[in-house]
Amino acid sequence: MKTLNALSIRAALRVARKDIKVFLKERGTLLYLFVVPIVFIVGFSAATGVQRDPQLKAISLPVVNLDAGSGASLALLDALDQGDGIQCELYDEAQAKALLERKKIERVLTIPANYAVDLQAGQPVTLRLVNGPDASATKSEAVHRVVTGVAADLSLQTQLISSFRQMADMQAAASPDQQAFTAEIIVEQAQSQFERSRTEPLLSVEERWPQHLLEKDEDEINPLSVNVPGFAVLFIFLTAQTTAQSIYEEKRVGSWRRLLAAPISRATILVGKMAPNFVTGLVQTVVLFGAGALLSPALGFGSLTLGTDPLALVLVCLVVLLCSTSLGVLIAAVARTEGQISGLSQVVLWTFGFAGIWLDRIPLASPFDTISKLIPHYWANVAFQELFIRGQGLADIMPNLLALSGFTAAFLAIGLWRFRFR
Amino acid sequence: MKETILEARNLVKKYGNLTAVKDVNLAVQRGEILGLLGPNGAGKTTIISMITGLLEPTSGTITVDGLDLQANTNAVKAKLGLVPQELALYPTLSARDNLDFFGSIYGLRGKHLRQRVDAMLEIVQLTERAGEAIEKYSGGMKRRINIAAGLLHQPSVLLLDEPTVGVDPQSRNAIFEAVEDLNRAGMTVIYTTHYMEEAQRLCHRVAIIDEGQIIALDTPSALIHGLGGGILLLGLEDPESGPGVGRVQTVVDRVAALPAVKSTTRDDGHLKVETHRFQEALMAILDITNQLDVRITSMEKWERNLESVFLHLTGKRLRE
Repeated sequence: MKTLNALSIRAALRVARKDIKVFLKERGTLLYLFVVPIVFIVGFSAATGVQRDPQLKAISLPVVNLDAGSGASLALLDALDQGDGIQCELYDEAQAKALLERKKIERVLTIPANYAVDLQAGQPVTLRLVNGPDASATKSEAVHRVVTGVAADLSLQTQLISSFRQMADMQAAASPDQQAFTAEIIVEQAQSQFERSRTEPLLSVEERWPQHLLEKDEDEINPLSVNVPGFAVLFIFLTAQTTAQSIYEEKRVGSWRRLLAAPISRATILVGKMAPNFVTGLVQTVVLFGAGALLSPALGFGSLTLGTDPLALVLVCLVVLLCSTSLGVLIAAVARTEGQISGLSQVVLWTFGFAGIWLDRIPLASPFDTISKLIPHYWANVAFQELFIRGQGLADIMPNLLALSGFTAAFLAIGLWRFRFR
Repeated sequence: MKETILEARNLVKKYGNLTAVKDVNLAVQRGEILGLLGPNGAGKTTIISMITGLLEPTSGTITVDGLDLQANTNAVKAKLGLVPQELALYPTLSARDNLDFFGSIYGLRGKHLRQRVDAMLEIVQLTERAGEAIEKYSGGMKRRINIAAGLLHQPSVLLLDEPTVGVDPQSRNAIFEAVEDLNRAGMTVIYTTHYMEEAQRLCHRVAIIDEGQIIALDTPSALIHGLGGGILLLGLEDPESGPGVGRVQTVVDRVAALPAVKSTTRDDGHLKVETHRFQEALMAILDITNQLDVRITSMEKWERNLESVFLHLTGKRLRE
């Protein structure tokens, strides 16, 4: 039995080696799989950055108002609601904490007790924005910008009003024939307050991330660290089409009959047909990640790190490749003609790619958040981003690995069930 | 008594309600070239596919060299060499790369593989162009490599499935010669075709297949002998009362009674006359029609060949 297995593996490797030889002769495919993604990554990154200026719409922002009832805190909530697409939802402190821990909410903003009194007294007040472990970096970035903007506006407003009030009081205390403040003094005072509100804002925002994410400054995110995994996932999954086409082509030219007539099992043939996709995808991953790491500083995007857990990175790569290969078998099993393979692949893989990778980047709360979770690309992309951007480890991306394994098993099971060896 | 190298017993293949192969029994003798002759869709490729393990029979057994295909699939497959109807080659790879690969999946390795590839390239006279991509070859050259790929592992039985489809006459002759050379060297060949000339020229025995059944199996000469002196197809008409009535019936009755005539059948207004002695029968028939003043509206002599055998047995032409 051992010998038989060894022979089967050897035969599968021969089929795979032949396919790789055939593949290497196809310069167009090589271009498509290796050069096009790099062009996409660089072009997309240069054009869009990390999409830091998104149009915000109705992101749910849980708020704990410890100064409930004060007019100032209500004014803050109003200002946030009227800001760019934030919808405040009030929670009590314990409830918000529990929900954050259970990952039911992604973040919470806390308005401190005595908010109104301290603000009135000119004492600095800090709003706390705490992000949960599963918070989307892009959405958190957007929320942080809105809250900071509103806080800055309120700081300026409060400091100016306070300053003008002081001036009015001083003017009132002076004798009627005395002109305490000239227009120049008032303008100077306003400018001074404006400057102060920028350097020492009365109302500031402190953003907190879970401890393991703190080490990673958001400012370190460069467009390539988002786009490299995104496009890598898209193009790795596009190799599924190569698997399907290779099987179809083998059937079309008749060599499939020759393979079936050879003294090797059908499982061996199929493994042999799947292996090149796996190898190609692996090389593609190394090339894309390597190119990303090399090109990033050269293009002025800063350094691109591949995370801190090499084992987790390797595992994600392997599971993603398996998933893509299985999807290829499924496409080969379902599509009957070259046109169907091409059409199905383009529609499924690009749609999956768009829905799974880019919908998550749109910083709005929407049904797309759920839809994208039904797509393997999403889990792959998030896993890479967790590793690259947030420096997370194997334990953190385990749900992603499990989800991808589930997709792999499902694709393979349906693919094998529907596969026609004839 | 020749030894049977491959035997198919009660072979049936069904696709739902359609029975593609109906109870086929076939015993191939070692060293012979057995032709499977039949029109497209007759079931030849299905039979070949079952013999080579590509298709599982619905019922029936296949043994090669005493080994049952179901029980010893890989061992049996190793004894067979398949040359599919299509050019089953990788067009962007060179002839050598193609042969290397097909040899390797039959377990050939290292020096032995290289020797076999070189030998095959030598046999098909393509050593000089072994490094060129197959896509640059002519149709005939591709066919030769296609055959070579099925021979690398020195199979006991070579199965050629319509190897001359779409091939120019020159390459067709080269293929015939290659098959004859291989057979002279002792190889057993199963050759499917719908060209009766090929079956007649190459095959020691021919199985005529129609609608999934073997309807005749013998040497080409024996099959043709079955046609007797030849077959004559006549269109007859009574000028007064029209075809098939009156004096025409008398002609039919008198022709059937002729000693040179084996049998007669009337079909679709025509009289088919199987003869013992064609010339004698023809002269007698002309006499009878003259005497009875029956007009001969058409006359066709079927040649003594496998096409006529097929037509005689099935009422259809091979290329219908």
